[in-house]
Amino acid sequence: MSRSAENFWDKVYREKTVLSLSSVLGFLALWHLATDILGLMPAIVLPSPEKVFFTIYEKILAPVGEEKLFGHIGVSLVRILVGVGIALGLAIPLGILMGWYEDLDSMASPIIEVLRPIPPIAWIPLAILWFGIGLGSKVFIIAIGVFFPTLINTYIGVKFVDPLLIKAAQTLGAKDKDILWEVVVPASVPLIVAGVRIGVGLGMMCLVAAELVAASTGLGYLIMLGGDDLKPELSITGMILIGILRLLADRVILRIERRVIYWKKE
Amino acid sequence: MNEEQRPDKLSARNVSVMYEKDDTSFLAVDDVSMTIQEGEFVVIVGPSGCGKTTFMNTFAGLVRPAKGKVYMDGEEITGPSAERGVVFQQFALFPWKTVSENIEFGLKYRGIPKEQRDEIVKKYVQLIKLEGFEKSYPHELSGGMKQRVAIARVYANRPQVLLMDEPFGALDAQTRTIMQEDLSGMFLTEKRTVLFITHSVDEAIYLGDRVVIMTARPGKIKKIIPITRENLIPDRRQMRYDDVVNLKEFLELKADIWGLIKAEILEKHIL
Repeated sequence: MSRSAENFWDKVYREKTVLSLSSVLGFLALWHLATDILGLMPAIVLPSPEKVFFTIYEKILAPVGEEKLFGHIGVSLVRILVGVGIALGLAIPLGILMGWYEDLDSMASPIIEVLRPIPPIAWIPLAILWFGIGLGSKVFIIAIGVFFPTLINTYIGVKFVDPLLIKAAQTLGAKDKDILWEVVVPASVPLIVAGVRIGVGLGMMCLVAAELVAASTGLGYLIMLGGDDLKPELSITGMILIGILRLLADRVILRIERRVIYWKKE
Repeated sequence: MNEEQRPDKLSARNVSVMYEKDDTSFLAVDDVSMTIQEGEFVVIVGPSGCGKTTFMNTFAGLVRPAKGKVYMDGEEITGPSAERGVVFQQFALFPWKTVSENIEFGLKYRGIPKEQRDEIVKKYVQLIKLEGFEKSYPHELSGGMKQRVAIARVYANRPQVLLMDEPFGALDAQTRTIMQEDLSGMFLTEKRTVLFITHSVDEAIYLGDRVVIMTARPGKIKKIIPITRENLIPDRRQMRYDDVVNLKEFLELKADIWGLIKAEILEKHIL
């Protein structure tokens, strides 16, 4: 690439960054204008951006309910990690086995087809009944959210492995069990990871829903408390943090994705 | 053992294969019988879609005949086996495995210890001239390189029979010539029984002991032409491909075989 072309792209990149930054700043300025300056929205309905940032800063040190801010983040993080862990631990092996063994597929499919369309949030009352209002019920709801997309993607990944690769393995002397672990599972990894990504997204929604309904800690609780106590800045704080958490989760999964499917053409 | 009376390695008896496509089934291979002797290199040519691949896949154990039976060493073939290695038209390399790991794949199931496997892999990487690419993944290789890996993967596994389905079809002319000469050399040094499918009459005559010409669908055997003995181009495998294709005997054979294929195409109105 020539020097001038390089400069050209540098410039575009710089301009893009400048544009993105200015739109964010513009958004904050409008928000500030609408609340503090023009007073279009009373602070009890929509607090000013400074107030939100101050709340975030303040709550790092001062507790809200049982926990300080990082405590709430930590609690939510533990719930999501345990829920995702349990769901993946069940969904991936089950999906692999269902995709590979047709008898198991025939047995498990009807049950899964009945349970899958039920929105995970609909499980909340039963979850509380079965697991109480502690960690158990939240983890259960999150796990349900993560379980089905991961299961379905794993199943499809295994089911639609290029038959040519299986034939190649057979004619090289691999037996069924070897083919499952050496060919079918690695070949389905891209679809499995895609399923995990969808699942984790859904799991985060379930986390918030579960914490809204029955919790005294966590980011969902902060959001709920803001409404109850007429402190919208608290709700907005929780919303911003859950957004950041989801963004980070997506980044981490993308990283993992790039690592495990190193063999795929970009 | 007498050259002329080698035992049958592979045989097909009255093999017919049905094929299903879009809810209709049609006859792909129609009552084919043939034998391939141990150490023989047999090439099948024929019009596109004539059932060559399907017929070969019955020997591989990947397709079950609707009628008739296929045998190896007199025993019926009922499924795939490492003794009948297949080089597929589309390479079929494992994309998540490196060149070395691909070549090593079958050796693990033969129970060969790790050090020995490494040695075999090294030998074949040299043979296919891919030193320096041992740790490359298939997507980083050219078509010709991938095809060489696919061939080495099967060769390294030391099957008694090699089934090769248009292995050079995807290659450019130059690479193809090199690969034909390589294979020819490998066949001389590592004497195996080979069944080879191609569209190229030149390739068929250069490589084969016998050339089997199949009819258009449903595939039957139209004629079998021996190359080595009666037609006397015995040393061609030690010669360069470009020299062989200009021999008078070669051109005569080519005209004969082309005549048969052309007649078949015209007769069945394939064009």
